[in-house]
Amino acid sequence: MRIVLGIKWVPNTQAVRFDPKTGTLIREGVPSIVNPHDLDATEFALKLKDKFGGRITAITMAPPAAIMGLQHVIGMGVDDGILASDRAFAGADTLATSYVLAKVIERIGDVDLVVFGQETIDSSTAHIGAQVASWLKLPYVYYVEELVDYDESKKEIVFRRKLEDREEVYKVKLPAVISVAMHSQKPRPVRMSYKIRAKLENPIQVWTNKDMGLDPRCIGLKGSPTIVAGITWTPEVPRKKQVFKGDPKEAVKWLIEKLKEEGVLPF
Amino acid sequence: MDVKNKWDIIIVGAGPAGSAAGYTLAKKGFDVLILERGRQPGYKELFGGRVYAEPLKKIYGNELSGAPIHRWVKKEKLSFVDGNKLVSLEYQSDTSTSFTTYLPQLAKWMADKASEAGALLVEEVTVDRILYKDGKVVGVGSGPDEAYADLVIDAEGVNRLLLEGLGLVEKLKPEQVAIGAKETIKLGEDKINERFGLSKGEGMAWLLMGSITDYIPGGAFVYTNKDSVSIGLVLHLGHAIKEVKEHISQMVEKLRLHPQLRNLWIDGDIMEYGGHLTPEAGPAMMPKKLALNGLLITGDAGGLLLNVGYTIRGVDFAAYTGYLAAEAAIEAHEKGGFTESNLSVYEKKLRDSFVYKDLTRLTGMQDLYSDAKMFKALPKLAVGTASRVFEIGLETPGIWNSFTQARKEAGFGLFSLAWKGYKLMKKM
Amino acid sequence: MSQEQSKQDVKPMKIDDILQRDVWDVDLEPHITVDSSKCEKCPTKPCLYLCPAGCYVLAGNKVVFSYEGCVECGTCRVICPMNAITWHYPKSGKGIMFRFT
Repeated sequence: MRIVLGIKWVPNTQAVRFDPKTGTLIREGVPSIVNPHDLDATEFALKLKDKFGGRITAITMAPPAAIMGLQHVIGMGVDDGILASDRAFAGADTLATSYVLAKVIERIGDVDLVVFGQETIDSSTAHIGAQVASWLKLPYVYYVEELVDYDESKKEIVFRRKLEDREEVYKVKLPAVISVAMHSQKPRPVRMSYKIRAKLENPIQVWTNKDMGLDPRCIGLKGSPTIVAGITWTPEVPRKKQVFKGDPKEAVKWLIEKLKEEGVLPF
Repeated sequence: MDVKNKWDIIIVGAGPAGSAAGYTLAKKGFDVLILERGRQPGYKELFGGRVYAEPLKKIYGNELSGAPIHRWVKKEKLSFVDGNKLVSLEYQSDTSTSFTTYLPQLAKWMADKASEAGALLVEEVTVDRILYKDGKVVGVGSGPDEAYADLVIDAEGVNRLLLEGLGLVEKLKPEQVAIGAKETIKLGEDKINERFGLSKGEGMAWLLMGSITDYIPGGAFVYTNKDSVSIGLVLHLGHAIKEVKEHISQMVEKLRLHPQLRNLWIDGDIMEYGGHLTPEAGPAMMPKKLALNGLLITGDAGGLLLNVGYTIRGVDFAAYTGYLAAEAAIEAHEKGGFTESNLSVYEKKLRDSFVYKDLTRLTGMQDLYSDAKMFKALPKLAVGTASRVFEIGLETPGIWNSFTQARKEAGFGLFSLAWKGYKLMKKM
Repeated sequence: MSQEQSKQDVKPMKIDDILQRDVWDVDLEPHITVDSSKCEKCPTKPCLYLCPAGCYVLAGNKVVFSYEGCVECGTCRVICPMNAITWHYPKSGKGIMFRFT
């Protein structure tokens, strides 16, 4: 199966703190990571490859530092990577980003399945998968949790996805685009031999807009209709800070009583 | 897919020891693989705050000027603390032999130097075993994978689980190590210069002992970085395990909020907090051999760190032992291979260097220094004398009188004090 | 994201709040395991004081251990009087990420 995996290199938002004195974000020394939900997607793609063979190419649109993210997933078992990187891509919203990614996928050619994570931790839009599918005019299944069946000769694949109140099973004709439900997989660790290959052979291509020749009206800031009208902070809710010390069993009883009093527990 | 899995030399750990070894060997043209378990070199590293520069200059020469140096230490301070009073001794100079930095930054720089010299640095790889076959070390393992080399340099750090797995050392004992815990507090460059009386680029190193560690042998430290201060404690675990009364983080907080100190940084923002073990036992913590067939042991893993209370040398010792290991490997290679007898030149180089000389000469001092009774009595003597001399009611007290009273209160006989002082001076 | 730091006045901060300043990539599987049956018989429990990250806390009379906030110093393994602790380096890039230490 020829798989393309979309990943994003994001600041570890756990490490970003808010400075109440200045009202700004403290970004100093915040490490970047592969978007954790994309690791669910990576694991899902690797399982498909384990089962049916084939090749996985990870793609991302980002500044050059994102090569470390591609190396990370190659360290998990992904075959190679493509970094779409160009000053002309800067300032992109999800639409312009998905356009570039769709063009990267087109340029790779003969792709069976495109796999994304559910959303990113730094923006949480969950747009990219749907938008890439739209650009490529391919079917899109989101919140995928599990592979049910794959018929290689018919190029038909069956996925299960979970929603709040039900499970759904989809049969899709390949090529298709999916996004994998967050926390649905147990991403495998980086392996020494794979990570050595990632660093030694560096199986990562960098594609600039010179390589891709994309319409300047569709990329970067110009291709981005999204306007950030403003950001407000959620006020901090004052805590009641009640601590019950002593026997855990008694503490649980006490906690349940308190939650009932507050109307948090309905019964 | 076939990935290369045989190297001349594999180095475990991209800390100061591993990266200095990798840099030196790669420059000589060896095919070197450095494996680092952190996502980036330095992510697992913590130290007090100061590095002595001379050993690094021997390794990196003029390139050291490109290192992430925060401030050159031109002010040294030593304080005895008893409750809310403290007595200090300060040394100021227009020359400097040490600098402050963040170790993660310095380690990253050193690892990059090794890469630039041609070593292959691979992060995110946790080595979980050293491979031993037919009487020699042949490589390392990580999960399902193995990588082979003619020589493995162990620079894994103080916990040395790999050496333990190989049966070369026993599990660390509390008496062999100390726990360091520290906070880095962001303050701003100008505030640091004003409050510590420093010019741009000049730094201060400050060690404190006494009630600041609840009289547990060890000490507290303060280092000025470019725009932050590092404050923290070191506690000898052999004592701490018996004497500790509150959580170590709360002891660091007491240092931060000490009435005589807090105005220096109270308006700062804690950027990071962490803890790390440090070797304490000197030669007693060293493995029986540091060179074996196909294996060299460097840095903290070898117990090669010096702590004499007023001076702690870890990073520069680690880097220098990594450098000596590389030099030894180069010589062994010229002699025909990485056998134990060829590699034993490493132990000779160590014995001839300041590292081993310092370790053997000064380590006995720790016994005196960590003598719990002495550790409590000295600050009491110093503070007790000073408070009697300087806090004046009606009558102006004499110095000798004040000293005698403080000495009696601290529980020192005049003779035993003189004897201990003599022994200490002789060691130093 | 924490909005705690404005409260950094003269009151000591609790370890849980101090640790908000640190960054981890937490592994799904713990790198440390504790045989808690041994803890019950432990007379001194030095881990409660000397683990700098406060990973060991007392609940009732039981020692409760969590690995997520571990700073990987190794102290617990060295001081445990009961030999109750199995300690590994975390896997491939996981765990604490020190930046200013």
